[in-house]
Amino acid sequence: MSRAWRGVAWAAILVVLVVALTPYLWIVLTSFKTRLDALAAVPVWAFQPTFEHYPAVFLDKGYLPLVGNSVLVAVATTALSLLVGVPAAYVFARRDFAAKEDLFFFFLTTRMAPPISVVVPMFLLFTVLGITDTPLAVVLAHSTFNLSLVVWVMRGFFAEIPREIDEAGMMDGLTRAGTFVRLLIPLAAPGLAATAILCFVLSWNEFLYAFVLVAFEGRTLTVGIPGLVTPHGTLWGQVAAVAVVATLPIVVFTFLVQKHLVRGLTFGAIKA
Amino acid sequence: MAVEFRAVRKVFADGTVALEGLDLAFGTGEFIVLLGPSGSGKTTACRLLAGLEEPTSGTLWVDGRDITGLPPRQRGMSMVFQNYALYAHKTVYENIAYPLRIRKAPRAEIDRMVRAIAAMLQIEIQLDRRPRQLSGGQAQRVAVARALVWQPEICLMDEPLSNLDALLRLQTRTELKRLHGELRRTFVFVTHDQEEAMTLGTRIAVLNEGRLVQFDTPRRIYREPASRFVAEFIGRPAMNTIDGVVAQGVFRAGAFALPVGALADGPVVLGIRPEALVLREQPTEHSIAFELDVVELVEPETLLFVKKGDVAMVARVMRDMGERGAGATVHLELPQQHRHFFAATTGERLP
Repeated sequence: MSRAWRGVAWAAILVVLVVALTPYLWIVLTSFKTRLDALAAVPVWAFQPTFEHYPAVFLDKGYLPLVGNSVLVAVATTALSLLVGVPAAYVFARRDFAAKEDLFFFFLTTRMAPPISVVVPMFLLFTVLGITDTPLAVVLAHSTFNLSLVVWVMRGFFAEIPREIDEAGMMDGLTRAGTFVRLLIPLAAPGLAATAILCFVLSWNEFLYAFVLVAFEGRTLTVGIPGLVTPHGTLWGQVAAVAVVATLPIVVFTFLVQKHLVRGLTFGAIKA
Repeated sequence: MAVEFRAVRKVFADGTVALEGLDLAFGTGEFIVLLGPSGSGKTTACRLLAGLEEPTSGTLWVDGRDITGLPPRQRGMSMVFQNYALYAHKTVYENIAYPLRIRKAPRAEIDRMVRAIAAMLQIEIQLDRRPRQLSGGQAQRVAVARALVWQPEICLMDEPLSNLDALLRLQTRTELKRLHGELRRTFVFVTHDQEEAMTLGTRIAVLNEGRLVQFDTPRRIYREPASRFVAEFIGRPAMNTIDGVVAQGVFRAGAFALPVGALADGPVVLGIRPEALVLREQPTEHSIAFELDVVELVEPETLLFVKKGDVAMVARVMRDMGERGAGATVHLELPQQHRHFFAATTGERLP
């Protein structure tokens, strides 16, 4: 590539970075701004930082347990979706049965309805079960959409593994279930990791289901944010502080595992 | 360990008939080759024996025990796959050790057996590598090592050499034969390559369109093919076969005529191997004049493609044809003891 083209490429990357990162930077800055600075008509870039918002929202307003709830819900959703979805994906990848593709498509259709149309029936159902306003309700709700993701993505990862691997395992003395647990899961590990991260992030970021299903004790971080919109105005500094805390783990986590994530997501795209 | 297929039939879900009532029995220590063109059912037969497929009907027996319903792990057999099917997430050592680990062999025993088989196959240096760091030949050896490390009674091999390049294929072939001699286990080897079959097998089962056509030693398969199919499938170049009619002791096909003695009148197929044809410089009492079509030099031999009317044949001679090329006349004899006759309708060998 010539020098000129390299320059163009860098410029393009810079534009994308600016567009993508400015809002995030703005949130981080806002979380350190006084109310006056935050609401200034002309955006203020240089200002005297204040550290009042973080303790105000997490300690005084008691938002700290919400972090725990978000972690609990995301981890439990990921675990449940994988536990149910991965074996299902294996069966779709390896066994033939009547109406297999129709059933597979059914998993996709569960995502076709707008979430808002599902959430009211779900609320009524969970009320009957007596689990509204518990993290369990949110975990179940999030698992409904993560399950289809797991089944769809993991089927592809399992299909990538040649059937001879299962057969070699069976000749070596494994049961069919043994080939799944001891060969296919380790071989699909990069894909499994990528899927798990996606599940975690989707659940962590989710707002609508969590907002409708929990109101007090079981609130997640995302649900906590509207609570800062008060009759006396929106507490932008505190909103930004919660948003920073809510996004930080995802950012750090993604940096740590990005190599794994990219490999997992392109697993099916590159063939030997 | 005697193995028996009894009237085994396999029809796949899409309606393809892979095996049409296979009856086959062989005993301990043999090197059995299942040979046939693609779609002949040879791989299906192998996979049925392994337990990777279930027969539609019929039964499989090992030492008088019905194994038809047993899962692969209870059959005491191992298998080498065409694409090797090594476990990419394990080292070579762990790949080879895996069957022993599953069978819960003691740690010291595992180490001893893995190192012994690795030494035998000359892959000791690769034991710490991962499968993707191996060449095709090395991967193939690892697959063989994994199949033989626990010394199963029967080792199945589904076209294990077909992904190797020509030279390596020859080397590995020799090695497999040596390995079979050393280990004294029953090998069942699937191939479509008649040369592999001829060199490796103690007996060859020739399959065609889901049926067993002939089951015999390589020598007899070559010298007394049971049918026209076997005759044409075995040997390179293939046996010459000529469709003709016998009338009053003479076989005729267009301009080609050959006295054949006591043979019933009617349509018949005459077969003769290219190397059985005898080239004469001058016409003799039994020679037939052919027109030379193409001369191929396959040092040290020469292949002569000749024709007489519509009848075309190939002769394989150990002689330099000099300047003689297309259009020249050659005189060939078809010695009586090398002639084969097959029924025109069924293709079966006539006595």
